[in-house]
Amino acid sequence: MSDTTTVSITINGVDHEVEAGQRLITAAEKVGEYIPRFCHHDKLEPVGKCRMCLVEVEGPRGKQLVPSCTMIVNDGMVVDTESEVVEKAQEGVLEFLLINHPLDCPICDKGGECPLQDQTMAYGPGESRFIEPKRTYEKPIPISDVVLLDRERCVLCDRCVRVADDIAGDPLITFNDRGNHVQILTFPNEPFSSYFSGNTVQVCPVGALTSVDYRFRARPWDLEVTPTVAAHDTVQSTAEIHTSRGKIVRVYAAENDHLNDGWLSDRDRFSFAANHAPDRIVSPKRRVDGSFEDVSWPEALNTIAERLGGIAPERVGAIGGAHNTNEEAYALGKFLREVVGTNNIDAQLGDGFNAQLAAAVTPRATVDDVESAGAILVWGPDLKETLPVLYLKVRKAVKNGATLVVASPWRTGLDSIATSVVRYRAGSGQEVLRKLAQGSAHEDAAAALTTGPVVTLFGRASLSEDPRLAESVAAYGRTLPDARLMPLLTRSNVFGALDMGLAPDLLPGRVGIEAGSAGLDAMGMLGAAAEGALDVLFLVGSDPVRDCPDPALAAKALDQADFVVAIDAFVTDSSAHADVILPAALWGEVDGTMTNLEGRVQTVSAAFPPRGQAQSLLEIVRDLAAIMGSGDILPKDTDTASSSLANEAPAYAGVSRESIFFESDGTGVVVPTGAGTQPLGYIPTDAAVPVVTDRFTLHFAPSLYDDGVITRHAESIAGLVPDVTVRISPRDASVLAVSDGASVVIDDFLTLPVTIDADVAQGSVVVPFNQVATKGLIAASAVSVEPVRGDV
Amino acid sequence: MTDPILTARMEANRTDSNTIDRYLETGGYEVLKNALASMTPEQIAEEVKASNMRGRGGAGFPMGVKWGFLADSDPKYLVINGDESEPGTFKDRQLLERDPHQLIEGIVLASYALGVNRAFIYIRGEYPKPARRVQRAIDEAYEKGFLGDDILRSGFSLEVSVHLGGGAYICGEETALLNSLEGRRGEPRLKPPFPAVEGLYARPTIVNNVESISNVPWIVANGGTSYAAIGPERSAGTRMFSLSGHVNKPGNYEIVMGMTWRDLIYDVAGGIRDDRALKTWIPGGASAPWLVPEHLDAPLTIDDATTLGTMLGSGAVVVMDETTDVVKAAHSIVRFFAHESCGQCTPCREGTKWLQDILERILRGEGREKDIDLLLDVSDNISPGLTWPPAMTTICPLGPSATAPILSITRYFLDEVKAYIPVSEVAGV
Amino acid sequence: MSSPIATWSAEGQERAQQLLALYPDKRSAVMPLLYVASLEHGHVTNEGMQQVAELIGVTATQVRSVATFYTMYKHEPVGRYLVSVCTSISCHLLGGDEVLDAACGAAGVEVGGTSEDDLVTVERVECIGACGGAPAVQVNYELIEGVTDIKAIDLIDWLRNTTPEVVLADELQQLFGGQKSFDWGVPEPDGAIAPVPAFGPYGSAEEGR
Ligand SMILES: Cc1cc2nc3c(=O)[nH]c(=O)nc-3n(C[C@H](O)[C@H](O)[C@H](O)COP(=O)(O)O)c2cc1C
Ligand code: SF4
Ligand code: SF4
Ligand code: FES
Ligand code: FES
Repeated sequence: MSDTTTVSITINGVDHEVEAGQRLITAAEKVGEYIPRFCHHDKLEPVGKCRMCLVEVEGPRGKQLVPSCTMIVNDGMVVDTESEVVEKAQEGVLEFLLINHPLDCPICDKGGECPLQDQTMAYGPGESRFIEPKRTYEKPIPISDVVLLDRERCVLCDRCVRVADDIAGDPLITFNDRGNHVQILTFPNEPFSSYFSGNTVQVCPVGALTSVDYRFRARPWDLEVTPTVAAHDTVQSTAEIHTSRGKIVRVYAAENDHLNDGWLSDRDRFSFAANHAPDRIVSPKRRVDGSFEDVSWPEALNTIAERLGGIAPERVGAIGGAHNTNEEAYALGKFLREVVGTNNIDAQLGDGFNAQLAAAVTPRATVDDVESAGAILVWGPDLKETLPVLYLKVRKAVKNGATLVVASPWRTGLDSIATSVVRYRAGSGQEVLRKLAQGSAHEDAAAALTTGPVVTLFGRASLSEDPRLAESVAAYGRTLPDARLMPLLTRSNVFGALDMGLAPDLLPGRVGIEAGSAGLDAMGMLGAAAEGALDVLFLVGSDPVRDCPDPALAAKALDQADFVVAIDAFVTDSSAHADVILPAALWGEVDGTMTNLEGRVQTVSAAFPPRGQAQSLLEIVRDLAAIMGSGDILPKDTDTASSSLANEAPAYAGVSRESIFFESDGTGVVVPTGAGTQPLGYIPTDAAVPVVTDRFTLHFAPSLYDDGVITRHAESIAGLVPDVTVRISPRDASVLAVSDGASVVIDDFLTLPVTIDADVAQGSVVVPFNQVATKGLIAASAVSVEPVRGDV
Repeated sequence: MTDPILTARMEANRTDSNTIDRYLETGGYEVLKNALASMTPEQIAEEVKASNMRGRGGAGFPMGVKWGFLADSDPKYLVINGDESEPGTFKDRQLLERDPHQLIEGIVLASYALGVNRAFIYIRGEYPKPARRVQRAIDEAYEKGFLGDDILRSGFSLEVSVHLGGGAYICGEETALLNSLEGRRGEPRLKPPFPAVEGLYARPTIVNNVESISNVPWIVANGGTSYAAIGPERSAGTRMFSLSGHVNKPGNYEIVMGMTWRDLIYDVAGGIRDDRALKTWIPGGASAPWLVPEHLDAPLTIDDATTLGTMLGSGAVVVMDETTDVVKAAHSIVRFFAHESCGQCTPCREGTKWLQDILERILRGEGREKDIDLLLDVSDNISPGLTWPPAMTTICPLGPSATAPILSITRYFLDEVKAYIPVSEVAGV
Repeated sequence: MSSPIATWSAEGQERAQQLLALYPDKRSAVMPLLYVASLEHGHVTNEGMQQVAELIGVTATQVRSVATFYTMYKHEPVGRYLVSVCTSISCHLLGGDEVLDAACGAAGVEVGGTSEDDLVTVERVECIGACGGAPAVQVNYELIEGVTDIKAIDLIDWLRNTTPEVVLADELQQLFGGQKSFDWGVPEPDGAIAPVPAFGPYGSAEEGR
């Protein structure tokens, strides 16, 4: 007897009990009957186009050939996947696919991992009966800076089109022409500029779509695969590093249905070039008379230890650690708190919000909660630009029927699918929130937030926004039906870092520090340094001159501080001010764990050793502590760190690299698990943020491809950094009497051309953050805007 | 013989049967007036069901039954299939050009019965003149209050517009047509869901052929049972046949089914031109397997056609006399299907073109004896078993249609195919 | 922010607006708009497709995907008179291929080519629903039935010599046609002014001549 969730089907005479509602091709695969396929893909809507998966199913009119990828299993279904008719049909389809397929397998990137090649061996007829001229197309054409298309190899399976359209919402690659001439193409001179284009390469079953980076770089059989996570943003998509001869040749998404569903953003996929960049710092450096000189590790560490000797602990601070593993962050925290003795630690750069709120907000949403939400409120950074894979998840949720409200001073990637968009003048968020909560305005939005569970994704919409607004939003979100809250910080492993205590008011494992005993946060440290109240500053993979809201203050702080230690892989605007630079290992070079924005802990692994003399942060602080005579305080390696934090950090109790590996199916675990506890459960309260009343308020928000150090080093995507303009509303443009393309001066500091944009709230100006052209602008909430006169 | 239903008015009014004045003068829109005043939608649907009329677009599905499948959720749509593009078929063109008001009256009645307030008439792009005539008739109908808001003060409203295709036979397939009407590529959709549940804009939709709907005024006026009483039981009513090729009197003929092929070709269509001998004919549009003189006395019904392994399809009868080069004729048809393949599924996209290529090679004198088996085997990989109605490895029947002429010439005219193959290429020589 | 079709004729812009309002979903207007765009640009150009895309809110690639599916959208310039010769089965049986050859010869082109004076393009088409009047030919989609190879030559010559403003089916039928599929009824006042179907809302029907 089958219950409601399973049905019984018969495949090749054998009865099986299978999950109801699934496709026959999947059900068969799960019971060990693999049916060949090209167009079928678990994460895409079925199209039934390739016809490779034909099987016979008994029906009222006898056995019928049907595509198993479009058939839903039903009770009593009798299936034959091996009959003569099926075999002939499958052989026929394969032959049809091959008649026009070029014979260039030996030079094809897909050679060795191509189902067409494999299935030809397994099912196909031997010698070709096709003696007509083959269809030919121009050999690979670049359809973007990162993707190449070879139409001769294409089997027209529609996977790339569905990924671009249905999944990413960027229908820029489509079928053209018809019949025998059907071909995949982009529009002439309009590149496939999607943040998700690389997924098409990964799903392409043949070698038709290939990545520029990977082309001819390796053959599948000499690839080594290292499971890890993509560490660019706090989604931390599950991924694989593929290496050949010690170099990364590509990054692939792994299937993690709780997280990224097998997708990656192009930033995650294509910006691995930084690891092998020629300007990487590969040995310790010390500043001598204004310039850097290579020194040995002992020399460098001794210099630092000397400097730290006898110094008052409160005159030492560290900014950064968000790019490191949990184990590294844990070691750094221990070093600062227990060896140096200070709470002046911050993994954020003044660009986020209240660390306790971010690390410990309750009730906290998981990514699965987002997928199955009844309603979603997004009030924070533009997900498409900052957390692209979460953007995909929200799209999926909306497809599943969730209503979506987006609140933002400017157009976001999600607006087009939102049930309701709340556009507000930057700096007036608190007012909007009040009206929304009271029901005195934005009724559409309120109405769209009534079906629980309602997941509120909250964060800071831009660097110029008051960080306290995020807490007000969270407090509002908490009042919604069956509320779940997801904090949106965006940088890499910042949630792991906070969980490891890299915040002035947090200890490892989500333990709060009383306000009176808390240390300085990043802006506090920079302020103190600028005023001579802080002597030694550690920059741990952080670049406050570029990334904090007040670049001038950061620059001054680094100048004024007595001694700056940068632990970094590159010389940046900030690390250039250092007295000592220690070469740091990057992602792909260290083992450990990381924690994402829902608290999911996954393992990361080294695919190859650190470049040159670079070392992991853990090794660096361990050795430094040893020189300072406190060697026994710090963990000696990743495993020790992992087990000691599993003991010491309450939220991580029972969670180690090993336990994740053995217990999580490769999908990671969300902390705290059953064994853990969360001492600090942060309940957000309305922060009553004052409304900014100045004439112009600033919306200073990042885009996916900024001038960040990683992007700059990824040749393939460096070209995708957008044009920089100032956007103002049509109304303000007419008041200022400026036209599209005219120049304006922002804050007497920055002259930029204007784009008049109806999606900008009146009274706000939108300036992209962290682009070469906007470097140095202070992220103040209010700005002045003056037209440049006389240049008509 | 029964009086014609669809063509009576145009036969009697050779110049102006398309105008509203003539239509009104000959009793037009009277049925509509009566129906809106005195019949419920259900009653109209009942009459259509009782008529047993089978759709005239090719698939032959009973119209009343299909209407019964329409999901009850607003908005729903009625779409008239005027894409008529199958070689040999030109009946809908005549109905559109010569009696557009008959169609419109049928549309209003059908829409009323179905609870539809928006209907579209999809006309193939190469039919600008029929489209103009229908558009003019629509304009006139709006003017007279037969279309628009609150039609004849019945409270029932209906908007109708014409949508012109862009040149693609496959848009005659109803789901491809819906895609096309939505502004997409005319690619057939996977079924289920069927249009009656999820059609235009994913709403419940009925798609009917021009001729099918043009019958509705008569059925409503005279009652479904009177319609059902015409002709053989499972091929009720009159039907438009398009005769073309080597006959003396090509044209459209509205006939009652049940007569023999001999009657149709020799009587109705005036026999073969120049008194030549009949060689073969296509009984139901380019997709149908051919018949040969031994079938002349078979009755012309949907079921008898099926028994003979073919179909009446779109009602196009293409007659070929003894002078016909059947290999060239088959090539013309295969080329048509290869040209019109939408290309989304592998066997049709690759297979139809391959068949075309092989035939062209044979016609160039470069055939090999094994090409005959190859033609049949490639056909078999598109339509396993080469039976009719076809089994398919494809999404829609277009691909399998291309195998009909291959099957026909190899079955009946194998020698003529072989005659194209150079002696040097015949095995054993 | 100006309209994407600000460069179109006033008439073209008006038609575009009507078409956008005609359907429950704007996207349905893509095919009619492509006809209007080809009238404005002479054929379906990249610019035209981008404009249509912007009007209906899809990407240019999506429009191109549709525009390349259908054979009546011409992506290269065609002559002022597009002569389409049917060679599908019924026409094939009665000499359609010879008509095609004759028309090509008269225009001095290969199938699909455009005469040197840019006046005539001759193309092969599949069945145009005039099989009872085979062989059938269309000029700018206006039909002539019962054409012979000799009449086809006359037709091409006549088009090049008289260069009619409006192509009228009844006139062509009288001059170059023969057997018809059925009675045509009253002569049509409307005809084609370009190689785009002469259907009012799509932009090319004109009152008589
Ligand atoms: C390849 C193909 C072409 C078709 N062409 C037409 C056509 O031109 N006109 C038509 O009415 N039906 C055509 N049909 C049938 C339609 O799919 C559909 O069955 C019909 O429009 C329903 O109307 P009816 O029930 O009134 O016949 C075609 C079907 C196929 C598979
Ligand atoms: S390019 Fe690749 S993914 Fe896209 S249709 Fe072709 S084979 Fe499929
Ligand atoms: S059979 Fe041919 S026309 Fe039909 S869906 Fe497949 S490719 Fe398209
Ligand atoms: S895998 Fe089923 S049709 Fe392609
Ligand atoms: S076959 Fe030529 S018009 Fe139909």
